[in-house]
Amino acid sequence: MAYVAARGGERAIAEAERLYRAMTGPIDANRVEQLQAALPWLIDRVMGEASLSAPEMAALALAQTGGDLYEAVLVLRAWRSTQPRLATAAPVLQEALFTHRRISAAFKDIPGGQILGPTLDYSHRVLETAVLTGRDFVPEPVTPAADPAPAGQPSLAEWQRAQGLVSALPATPYVAPEDIPDITREPVLFPAPRAHRLQALARADTGGTLALGYAAMRGYGNAHPTVNELRLAEAEVMVRHPSRSFFSAGRVKVSQAEVVSKGRADTLELGFAATLGWNEVKVIAAATLDLNAAKAPKGSPVEEEFFLYHTEPVEASGFCIHFKLPHYVTFQSSLDAMRGASNRDAKGEAPLPVAPAEHQTEPAE
Amino acid sequence: MTLAKLTRTWAPMAYGFLDGQAKREMRRKMLKAIAVPGCQMPYASREVPMARGWGTGGLQVTLTLIQPEDRVKVIDQGADDSVNAASIRRFLARVSGAAETWDTQDASLIQSRHRVPEERLGADQILILQVPNPEPLRGVEPNMSTARQMHADADYGRLWLTLYEQIVRSGRIMQGAAYPALVNGRHVMTPSPIPRWDVEKLHMAQHLTFLSAGREKRLHAVPPFTSVTPLAFDDVPFKVEAHGSLTCHRSGITGQFMNELPQSDGGALYEVSDSHLGIKAIRARDGEPDTTGPTWYQDGSFRS
Repeated sequence: MAYVAARGGERAIAEAERLYRAMTGPIDANRVEQLQAALPWLIDRVMGEASLSAPEMAALALAQTGGDLYEAVLVLRAWRSTQPRLATAAPVLQEALFTHRRISAAFKDIPGGQILGPTLDYSHRVLETAVLTGRDFVPEPVTPAADPAPAGQPSLAEWQRAQGLVSALPATPYVAPEDIPDITREPVLFPAPRAHRLQALARADTGGTLALGYAAMRGYGNAHPTVNELRLAEAEVMVRHPSRSFFSAGRVKVSQAEVVSKGRADTLELGFAATLGWNEVKVIAAATLDLNAAKAPKGSPVEEEFFLYHTEPVEASGFCIHFKLPHYVTFQSSLDAMRGASNRDAKGEAPLPVAPAEHQTEPAE
Repeated sequence: MTLAKLTRTWAPMAYGFLDGQAKREMRRKMLKAIAVPGCQMPYASREVPMARGWGTGGLQVTLTLIQPEDRVKVIDQGADDSVNAASIRRFLARVSGAAETWDTQDASLIQSRHRVPEERLGADQILILQVPNPEPLRGVEPNMSTARQMHADADYGRLWLTLYEQIVRSGRIMQGAAYPALVNGRHVMTPSPIPRWDVEKLHMAQHLTFLSAGREKRLHAVPPFTSVTPLAFDDVPFKVEAHGSLTCHRSGITGQFMNELPQSDGGALYEVSDSHLGIKAIRARDGEPDTTGPTWYQDGSFRS
């Protein structure tokens, strides 16, 4: 009998989950704390894709899913669904960010300076195998700079605008923060409001965004990116208390990338992306998609509808694994049609001029 | 003023899992879907504690409708004890306090993946179908914004052409489940991938049907007493699966939709797809009172 119709399905579910949980064992607060301390970049990636800045929750999600990223993101997003929205934070300007790292590939030096901050970019990626034989890897302590970089850094694009290199921002009427279109509260329709596109990219799958962004960089897009400005920073979450006072509810880690196209017109075109947590690969790839979307032909990988639908981690991973569900009713239905068609041959009816189907006409279900 | 005065006591989650704002949006979209039968209504689609593609669209509709006094039935491919159906039913009961049932006649809410139960549904019942792909035009137009425009223009020519090409190529329409149907004479819908056998059950039915796709963020509805007409040609009528003469090897039921069970001798046995219908028949055979309600199909043919 098919696995679906096995009697006692409830027990099978319970035991299947126990087998999975047995692989990771009991989870205590200590493990969650350890994960949070040991894997900040992974925590950031999960927070970004879950669109929820909560390092402790992200560490817990990773602990209880044993590090299956898609499962961790799903658990966090599902938890997020149960939470009411209490307030909308004030918009954050680039110069107000508490900046840890800020670089530009477009210029040798920029107003405010290049600030490397934490990065592995120039390190040798050598596996520290000695750790396994008992010699601990103890990183060299950071030497504080004699003259620390200022926490606030100006926006490079603003300087470029002043120079006439980047076209001026279109005059847009003021939109109250609570009226900004919100992708978690309303469906995306195309052409999407810019807010929706940037929000969708902010919570997009890192791997998926990289795949499509990389395709664009290799030549499937129409614009080649130069990293104008890349930032890792912390943003102040400013909200209004019901008593009307304006206060900071804390800081969240954010990353953002601005890429420019080169040599296509008399001004540079900008692509932008930002996400919660520090995730450089994702924001550069996403900003490249944003840059390419304007002139993308329908159905191309850099078209907004294409990349927004296909980089949504919860939807893409869920649909992929749903093919494990039984499909025997739909299969039976197709089988019936197939047999009906072959009966025609058996009855010796005139053969039909068979041409191969040009494309899939019945999409996957 | 204190924060405590402005908020309720903190609870880890809202009644029925979804928070109030999410349910309000769902109610609005569900009412719109009833008002324009068969027309796909986009909705935000919250993440729920199940993977996308595993019934999250149906789940959001059910979670919005469910109340403690409800009796909820969940089936997958016709079976109540299918692992995913059991999981969804358990979750619904846990977050709502509603009672679980396997009996089609007893249920007030029925969430289903790919089947409409064989027993007739009444005016006090709501059927919620889980939909993987809500767009009947996807096969001819993968771009959703273009497809949306085609619906607005009632531009279904390419869909008709696909059906015609199938007849030219194969001598019959090859569409299996998810057979496109015109609702209320205006919008073509894909009735989720229910078999063709089940499509007629939605036509001028007493019950309300919601079809909801969580991943694709679209829902549509077939309100009671609404026409649902499968697309077919005057000279090539719509045909349901040839299951009318098959007999279930376990329950003895004849003339209902069957699962085919291949046997090692090269033949096949059949088992009734609506698993609880089979259970009722087996119980009646074993001497218990027959609780089977009136069915849409009798002796293998549809009775309107």
